[in-house]
Amino acid sequence: MERTRKVMSVSEAIRRFVPDRCESLAVGGMHMHNNPMALIREVIRQDKKIKRLITSPSADINADLLLGGGSVEEILTAYVGFEHLGLAPNFRRAVEKKTVKLLECDEPFLVYGFQAGAGGLPFIPYPKGLESNDLHKINPELYRFTTDPYTGEQVMTAAPIKPSVALIHCQEADPYGNAIFKGSEFTDRQMIFAAETVVLQVEKIVPNLAERYGATRVNVPGFLVSAVVEAPYGCHPTSSHTYYTYDEDHLKVYLKACKSPESLGEYLHQYVLGMAEEEYAVEIGLERLQNLTTRGVSE
Amino acid sequence: MSGKAYSTAELMACVMARHLRDREVAVMGAVSMIPMAACRLAQETHAPNLSYIAGGSGAVNPHLEPLVFSSCDAENLRADAVLALPDVILLEGHGKRFDVFFGGGLQIDKYGNCNLVCIGDWHHPVLKGPGTVGLPFLPRAGRAVIYTTSHNARTFVEKVDFNSGPGFLDGPESWARQGLPGQGPSLVVTPLCALDFDEISKVMRLKSLHPGVRREQVAENTGFELVIPVEVPVTPEPTPSELAILRRVDPTGVARNLV
Repeated sequence: MERTRKVMSVSEAIRRFVPDRCESLAVGGMHMHNNPMALIREVIRQDKKIKRLITSPSADINADLLLGGGSVEEILTAYVGFEHLGLAPNFRRAVEKKTVKLLECDEPFLVYGFQAGAGGLPFIPYPKGLESNDLHKINPELYRFTTDPYTGEQVMTAAPIKPSVALIHCQEADPYGNAIFKGSEFTDRQMIFAAETVVLQVEKIVPNLAERYGATRVNVPGFLVSAVVEAPYGCHPTSSHTYYTYDEDHLKVYLKACKSPESLGEYLHQYVLGMAEEEYAVEIGLERLQNLTTRGVSE
Repeated sequence: MSGKAYSTAELMACVMARHLRDREVAVMGAVSMIPMAACRLAQETHAPNLSYIAGGSGAVNPHLEPLVFSSCDAENLRADAVLALPDVILLEGHGKRFDVFFGGGLQIDKYGNCNLVCIGDWHHPVLKGPGTVGLPFLPRAGRAVIYTTSHNARTFVEKVDFNSGPGFLDGPESWARQGLPGQGPSLVVTPLCALDFDEISKVMRLKSLHPGVRREQVAENTGFELVIPVEVPVTPEPTPSELAILRRVDPTGVARNLV
């Protein structure tokens, strides 16, 4: 019997592995880096309804575009913003106008939650002192307390997070879904471990990945991955660590477009809805993409 | 810059750098260009054994020349070591691994509590902020160094609308009752001045005025009553050697041009 290759087109991967009404969708990447934008744009094209969007501890356009162009009922996040470029326009508008339900949490809630989800742990207790902020007061459903059996004291806990689907960008994978992060992993490996289903987008499929880098560097095992999509420049306008940097000018174009529903509609038509994902790089311009050079790290 | 040989951001970096001690470990989050410049400056002057972790990149002592804007930039990864983000979270939870945590907020109050969550009532926000990320670790991470590029009465408020980065909470009693491993906020750096906290009342106190700034100007731009000692020194200007180091690590002005 032949081993099953998991390589497929972006449209097939999203059609097959993201349900039309997705209970919980996790999107990888942190700030303006390693956002799986090719997969996210395709989720919007295929008009998938997302019950709960889950982000890394610091989301950017990955969450903001879904909030602006997609269908999201609620979002579990610790931050959506654009760092030095400012606030996240669609996140801000959706929360202020209450068109999305915000499950506001902190960074450890997500990190502990993915860890608990990945390992089947019932919860993870917080270190003392992290209950001294106001988050648990506005969200007692999310932040629950229990008694520490060793000290008898009350401790705050983080619940397991088990996304139905995680969309993740790795720099390279083999056809069976074994993959590597060539730069930072952020919380993407934890998302992969915690999710029921994982769709990977990669810059390049490398058939002899383990041979090339040594298996110790390949820390995403293929058995956790359902689909591998080769999407060069698929993180644009965010960076793909060691491959290219973020496109600050395009991010600014996006932020400007989000100022009115009309201009956001035009943006979505020009870069998402009016084309297949395979045409995106041409629309942006190959020369422009090639100029997003990064010194990155040496191999 | 008003004809000075240095920018306000460079002065702020010097104030932070002088606060850091040799062998300490510092950690910072997003939009930390000035703290990064400060850590580099400290390493090149009095604190060669200082370590610092650059936000979500997990990079320990990035060898950045030039500095970059994004805390998670791949450029950070040319460093002494790189930690996975969950490892950084473990260390932040430990309570004794980090000596200095750089924080900030849309609002900062008289007890040094920070707010990155919202302006107004959380259920009906006037302005939704980005979110708090790792600031809840402040009470476990040594001394908090708080910084902002906008010193005005909207930022410096009597009480934060939402406490997402705890300082001395509701004051000395509530802080003492918690018995937390951290030492609480120790320094606030703004474009106008440096501030610390009164040992007894835990209220923010004017520590030094940046050159050319009057104490009335600070009081007018602060939305609560600061502790103002009779004698307030002027913040020492960057020395030529401090400036030379800052210009070398930040040749493109990533930190310098912020304020």
